[in-house]
Amino acid sequence: MKKFLIFIAKILVVVILIVIALDGFYTYVFLHSKNRGKIEKVFNSKEEKYDVIILGSSRANNHFVAQMFEDKGLKTFNYGMSGGHLFEASLMLKLMIERKYEIKNVILEADLNLSNDQESEGVSAKFLPYIHNSTVIKQHFASQKDFKELYYLPFYRFIKYDGKIGFREVFHVLEGEKTNPLDNLGYYPLVKHKSGNMKNNIVNLNPLPHNKYYEEIKNICRTNHINLIVVMTPMCENVKGMNYFDKVKNAYPEIHNYENVVIEDKYFSSCGHMNDEGARMFTSRILKDFFDINK
Amino acid sequence: MFFNSIAFAIFLPIVFFLYWFVFNKTKSAQNALLIVASYYFYSCWDWRFLFLLVFSTFLDYYTGIQIEKGKSEKSRKFWFWLSITVNLGFLGVFKYYNFFAASFAELLNSVGINASPILLNVILPVGISFYTFHGLSYVIDIYFKRIKAEYNFIDYSLFVSYFPLLVAGPIERATHLLPELKVKREFDFQTAKEGVYQIIWGLVKKVVIADTCATYANAIFDHYETMNSFSLILGAIYFAFQIYGDFSGYSDIALGVSKLFGLELLRNFNYPYFSRDIAEFWRRWHISLSSWFRDYLYIPLGGSKGGLWMKIRNTFIIFVVSGFWHGANWTYLAWGFLNAIYFLPLLLSNSNRNNMDAIQLKFNLDSVKVLWSIIFTFSITCVAWVFFRAKTITDAVSYLKRIVTNRDFGFQYLDNERYSYELLVMIGLFVLVEWNNRNKIEPLSGKMSSIRVALAILTIIAFGTYSDYKEFIYFQF
Repeated sequence: MKKFLIFIAKILVVVILIVIALDGFYTYVFLHSKNRGKIEKVFNSKEEKYDVIILGSSRANNHFVAQMFEDKGLKTFNYGMSGGHLFEASLMLKLMIERKYEIKNVILEADLNLSNDQESEGVSAKFLPYIHNSTVIKQHFASQKDFKELYYLPFYRFIKYDGKIGFREVFHVLEGEKTNPLDNLGYYPLVKHKSGNMKNNIVNLNPLPHNKYYEEIKNICRTNHINLIVVMTPMCENVKGMNYFDKVKNAYPEIHNYENVVIEDKYFSSCGHMNDEGARMFTSRILKDFFDINK
Repeated sequence: MFFNSIAFAIFLPIVFFLYWFVFNKTKSAQNALLIVASYYFYSCWDWRFLFLLVFSTFLDYYTGIQIEKGKSEKSRKFWFWLSITVNLGFLGVFKYYNFFAASFAELLNSVGINASPILLNVILPVGISFYTFHGLSYVIDIYFKRIKAEYNFIDYSLFVSYFPLLVAGPIERATHLLPELKVKREFDFQTAKEGVYQIIWGLVKKVVIADTCATYANAIFDHYETMNSFSLILGAIYFAFQIYGDFSGYSDIALGVSKLFGLELLRNFNYPYFSRDIAEFWRRWHISLSSWFRDYLYIPLGGSKGGLWMKIRNTFIIFVVSGFWHGANWTYLAWGFLNAIYFLPLLLSNSNRNNMDAIQLKFNLDSVKVLWSIIFTFSITCVAWVFFRAKTITDAVSYLKRIVTNRDFGFQYLDNERYSYELLVMIGLFVLVEWNNRNKIEPLSGKMSSIRVALAILTIIAFGTYSDYKEFIYFQF
């Protein structure tokens, strides 16, 4: 039995050594990754200057044409993340501040995402490789229920989210394979789909009265003297009359309601996402309302 | 509680410690501990079905004794058929009732008689097909006087509910396992070490091969209407490795865990994808079930002793029943039927026992033939797996038809955000490792075993699929 216990102890030592080595290797690879996504772009940069930063979910990512801001002479990048919640938007902004970004304006898409203050695991996972290298990431995740495992157990975060930051992603980083989230200054244009889903039932959806991460973003902007512009972006015809956007307006009067700026379904790729044509119409209106120097 | 879960990683060392350090004085103490552990293990799924397990155990224990004690043939027959009826009755109600009721109603509707079936709102108790077959083999063996009835209830209960084999086999025989349970187990380092190797290799099969293949196979099977020929072929191959990795991985872990307690279970898989014909495949795949059907169905039906038609009939019965054992769906029946068709030429030409020897490859024409026969057998097995995996027979036929009609052999991007071909390297390496170690139970033992084990652990940790967790497929049977 003694021999067996030594044998098992050796296996445990091997397991521990492997997870520590893999954790170090994966972290090293992600620390040197630059062309795969928006999070690592921010993490591996510093002291950048922007006139406009766009934050939010896919409804920011697909709706704000960053190049149109640039054409007006405004240095802009769309940091909207498909699938992201306000949890990730807030962390992204914190990370930029930690990296000493100078930002004049933040446009935040806040509408459907006000209905929850949970993390979006698929997106938040991409911050986790840097949890030991960034105080804001560590603090942001500290309130999550599995923080201790994520922070203290070597390699646990890479196992738990292997689909996002596992060996395939590490392999792609090592290959230097580029992805498209950084194209078009972060804006991802959609096309009109014949089979696009134009139905979205948001009747029972309610914004949280005090969304923790929305309040965080407001505070960060206030503290760092950043002009915060919060907008609700358009949805397809099907949701008209479902009054979710009115509920948001009641709870957060400072948020600008652009629900009806683009109405017709022909400008939508799916109910919650405008196509490129719709996005350009919408961006023009935003530029006119907030950045028109001749106004 | 799954073998590849954190809960099991805690449960197993606790039971191991208690077994060898606290309850190690007598065989009765060892068995009692294993029963408590097994019932706890089973109750982690659904404690209510524990009553069913205990009832089934008691039924076979009691009827077994009554059959042995029976003074007249009539009395023996009565207890025998009581046990068979109740066992199969439970299986029928929980597993097959809804299927038969719905199929019957469909049949009536198709001839114009309006019928709506009364369906039972019950979930299938995990492992019921496995422990029912344990009990059946025990009672049948007593009736035919092959074994003596077990009078020690603890020992018999452990035979039925021993946790490594309780939910997905291997399907043990009383003749094999009960004698092991009748003696006190002494710890043997070599056996336990082999057990650990087998557990590690089982985890490689499950977490690295099966679960990774599952994400690709699902992405292809769930959208087969939009897939091209190449992706559909790969989908069938991926599912073949998914089910092999999943089930043989489970069996390896079960056998390995059992070795930690000094108990040897029946081997369930013997590198089936290296089979040279379908008969050999069935001697290597789910061995405990194949041999169960052979001994308790095929041979009692007359086996291959009768005339030609009897042989054919018995072959179809055993394969179709085997398919139906897997689940109440026409797809499983079709899978069994197809395997019977594959088997038929071998049976008719009396060549079903041609490939009994170990596979040897050299640089000559015979080896090319052997290699070709292995590839051919694997290919027809993949075709059969399409029926096993598809939701309906129509889906399976459409899937296969599209392979032939689409004729596009380009790479496709799947909805799991991966290319359809991406897994091939990993499968290729896996096949190579298994091929080079096909004469051993697992590839980790032997020369440089420390390095092999370290590499296997590295593979599990780095290349395993964890976020897209898959249950063991055979738990549903």
